[in-house]
Amino acid sequence: MVDFGIPIGAGIAFGLGALGTGIAQSRIGAAGAGTIAEKPEMFGLMIILVAIPETLVILGFVVASMIMIMLV
Amino acid sequence: MEYAYVNARIKAMKSRLLDRSLLEQLINKPDIDTLITELEKTTYREELEKAGVLYSGINRIEVAIRKDLVKTFRTILNLIRGGDSERYVTIILNRWDVQNIKTILRGKKIQENPSEILECLIPAGELDEAALTELVKQPDVKAVIDLLATWGVVYARPLTANFKEFADSGDMLVLEYALDTFYYQDAMSKLKGGESDDARILKSILVTEIDINNIKTVLRAIRDRIDTEEAKRYFVQGSPDFDAAKLLSIMKSGTIEGALKLLERTPYQFISKIPPEYIAAEKISAFEKELERYLVKKSVALFLGDPLSIAIPIAYIWAKYTEVTNIRVIARCKLTEVPEKELREALISV
Repeated sequence: MVDFGIPIGAGIAFGLGALGTGIAQSRIGAAGAGTIAEKPEMFGLMIILVAIPETLVILGFVVASMIMIMLV
Repeated sequence: MEYAYVNARIKAMKSRLLDRSLLEQLINKPDIDTLITELEKTTYREELEKAGVLYSGINRIEVAIRKDLVKTFRTILNLIRGGDSERYVTIILNRWDVQNIKTILRGKKIQENPSEILECLIPAGELDEAALTELVKQPDVKAVIDLLATWGVVYARPLTANFKEFADSGDMLVLEYALDTFYYQDAMSKLKGGESDDARILKSILVTEIDINNIKTVLRAIRDRIDTEEAKRYFVQGSPDFDAAKLLSIMKSGTIEGALKLLERTPYQFISKIPPEYIAAEKISAFEKELERYLVKKSVALFLGDPLSIAIPIAYIWAKYTEVTNIRVIARCKLTEVPEKELREALISV
């Protein structure tokens, strides 16, 4: 009998992290575009701010990996 | 409405507003020419250069800052196109339509030169410069109202309805009050049923404006010993806290001191802190200035409100308007060599 619980759990951990990142980046990206339209010199800072939510998906990936490595 | 983009842009635009130190530099300029040189280092440069082709001195500043204000407001309106937020910003911008129509009507009543009237207008609302130019060309008050009615401008309705009374009495207050009442009632009806945060924010500003208008009316009526029933006609409805009954009770106090005492437990208690010599002299302009400052401060304070709401565009519109008013005050004071102390008193600091 194949246990689907572990890969599904890993998928949820990664997927929700990615979803959170997507929501956060859409807002920050829109605000960033607005800021750069008025102040192009803020481009570098905006790239960093848009990248910060990536940590969510990375954490999700780490948790998913730990689930897969440690529980399988 | 996706506010993230719009409000980020508006906040970036806010960062280009003149700060306190720049205003100080403008105040310290000895004359109009050095003031223009200083202003050319700011965002007004482009409009000052354009205006410099046709105008000089204070007219150059007036034209440039007016064009800049209109351009800025149009930018905000274009950013916010679509949905309720456009409707809400239009409500705020319509204030300038009402103000412009009032200015034209006053000008026509005293048969002022059309170019002089045009100089006093700010085409920031729905009536653009071409429409306003056409309106000031009209020979009299009746013709202005008729033209507004021909264009289907909503403000023609209260003016037409009250024109007979104006024609009989010659009192411009009749038309001005009709316009104000129509504007606020129309704005409130547009907000009715809107339970969103945006509607609530705009409503709170409109209610403050109505309160301030009514308090000014009450204070003027007390000073001029106007009968309560007569004054009651000029109260604008729409404020839940300051309804006609409460305003009448303030009026019945009979004196400015009495009215101020009754205002003590309201958000407008700050006007009782006005120097006693103004109260004794019943100098209403001092109270009016304080009340207007309160409205500006309350509106600009919206910058600290929800960053993903209509609060930011409203706050910016008021902040920009305040900046333009301050530059105008500085320019006028430099022209007439008003002492620095009086100039500083006339400025609105936010």
